[in-house]
Amino acid sequence: MTTTDASSELLDVSGTPAVPFTRLVAVEVRKALDTRAGRWFSASIVLLSLAVVVIYAFAAPEDSRDFSDVIGVAGAVLGYFLPILLILMVTSEWSQRTGLTTFTLEPHRGRVVGAKLVGGLLLGAALILVAMAVAAVGTLIGGGGWSITADVLVKGFLVANLIAILTGFAIGMLLMNSPAAIVTYFIYSLVLPIAVGVLGSFQDWFADLAPWIEFNTAQGLMFQADGMPSGEVLAQLLVSGTIWLVVPFALGLLRLLRAEPK
Amino acid sequence: MIMVDHLTKTYGGFTAVDDVSFTARRGRVTGFLGPNGAGKTTTMRIMVGLTPATSGSVRIGGRDYRDIPNPGLHVGVLLDASAQHAGRTGREVLMIGARTMGLPDSRVDKMLELVSLTPDESKRRVRNYSLGMRQRLGIAHALLGDPSVLILDEPANGLDPAGIRWMRRLLKSYADQGGTVLLSSHLLNEVELIADEMILIGRGTIVASGTKESLLSGEATSTLVHSEDNDALGRQLAAAGHTVSVEAGGLRVDCDSPTVGRAALEAQVVLTELRSGAAGLEDLFLSLTEDTQREGHPAAATAQGGTA
Ligand SMILES: Nc1ncnc2c1ncn2[C@@H]1O[C@H](COP(=O)(O)OP(=O)(O)O)[C@@H](O)[C@H]1O
Ligand SMILES: [Mg+2]
Repeated sequence: MTTTDASSELLDVSGTPAVPFTRLVAVEVRKALDTRAGRWFSASIVLLSLAVVVIYAFAAPEDSRDFSDVIGVAGAVLGYFLPILLILMVTSEWSQRTGLTTFTLEPHRGRVVGAKLVGGLLLGAALILVAMAVAAVGTLIGGGGWSITADVLVKGFLVANLIAILTGFAIGMLLMNSPAAIVTYFIYSLVLPIAVGVLGSFQDWFADLAPWIEFNTAQGLMFQADGMPSGEVLAQLLVSGTIWLVVPFALGLLRLLRAEPK
Repeated sequence: MIMVDHLTKTYGGFTAVDDVSFTARRGRVTGFLGPNGAGKTTTMRIMVGLTPATSGSVRIGGRDYRDIPNPGLHVGVLLDASAQHAGRTGREVLMIGARTMGLPDSRVDKMLELVSLTPDESKRRVRNYSLGMRQRLGIAHALLGDPSVLILDEPANGLDPAGIRWMRRLLKSYADQGGTVLLSSHLLNEVELIADEMILIGRGTIVASGTKESLLSGEATSTLVHSEDNDALGRQLAAAGHTVSVEAGGLRVDCDSPTVGRAALEAQVVLTELRSGAAGLEDLFLSLTEDTQREGHPAAATAQGGTA
């Protein structure tokens, strides 16, 4: 039998600082891109937006080929697919069961979630820059003008993509399952607005109500408005955004912080 | 050192871990042994904070796992070798670990070499790994940060015999250098040869613990003997005051082998076979966890009956 004094049974952690947050972010970005699926997906978003923009540059009417028009097209393609990248960043920890390792190496889950969100925003920012470059290519091909307003850039591009990123993140946390989250996201972003639109075309009262309870519809009104949206549109964004983004995000976060990675 | 203190985990009305307490010490390999569903994995998951305990606590080196900064540098964990992204290469899995812990990339190559995954294999995706290769990768991951505590859940699962021997030596040397090693298994022979101490768990409760010797010391001494004249030998032994019974064409005697040998010499009987008849660890393991087995174990029951 070996005899051991009490102090030798204690871990000496004096020389070990916690894992810095920046390192966690770098690791999460790496994890989003180090699988064939991740790389392929990011590349597809870029290629797809390039393809759509090129088609647009040829097909659009002469007076709609300006940079400010093309950038909206590139942004729309990005906005549809960016959330999936964010979804996978969250759900793969469960669907691929890597959470076992991730949450063992950093048991403070809040830090991991924060790192994923920051990493996702950085990836999103990088893709936004690429999409802008793609839009520039489209403008060159279409021979449109280069004037652009801050309005288009901020609202149509930055705000839209930021909302998209947060939406993907919320759905990922809430469902913790890749296929289910992706399907849900498409229902939310494609099927729901169409259904609301159809219902609204039959019932006037519903058309009035829709922007208050459906986030996509409210966002549509924001994009249509010139300049700063009106107080009513802002209020609609706030109400529907709370229902479809803030509440799911909060519930998802709670679920993720408590779930048992299996 | 790992100290498990009155740990209980219930799922709904089901108690997966029931008031479990034990200690895994520095410099020793502690085997955590129990049949399927006994609660080994659950206990280990609670140790590293993946599953919250219903009550009780675990301290690793005097701390809560959550309070260990950069825990990968102190506690090496392997819970499920298959829980890796199928689309990542083995090397990339280790790279992520190394980057998180802040280790140089050279550490990854060193660990790959240690677990005998070739550079070629390390570039394959985990999807194409055999269970044994995943297990090696998992062990490499657990050792990345050169931790002083190792928590390994069924690490021998899927390893070939050479791999199991290699792992045994590895863990032994880890403990010899002052490390704390806790490894679980549902197979006694995987643990028996390396564990300095064993914790036997069945249906969520600890049924026995201690060194192999101390576990067996409670067993009655007994010898099985075959000879050319069992009757004469039996009479000689009975005359010396030993209890003799006939068993499987030979005799079972309640004394040690030298005593039987001496009796044979006196009775001038030629021995053809002489061995310890004490129930081994396996019988002990089976009998202790008997009511927790999925199937009854008649062999263990008869062996016990024979000595009684
Ligand atoms: N999340 C869970 N919900 C319900 N029961 C569980 C859960 N996790 C484990 N169990 C049950 O707890 C028991 C112990 O499981 P486990 O710790 O995996 O056993 P072992 O690793 O010893 O084979 C099993 O009966 C298992 O079904
Ligand atoms: Mg298990």
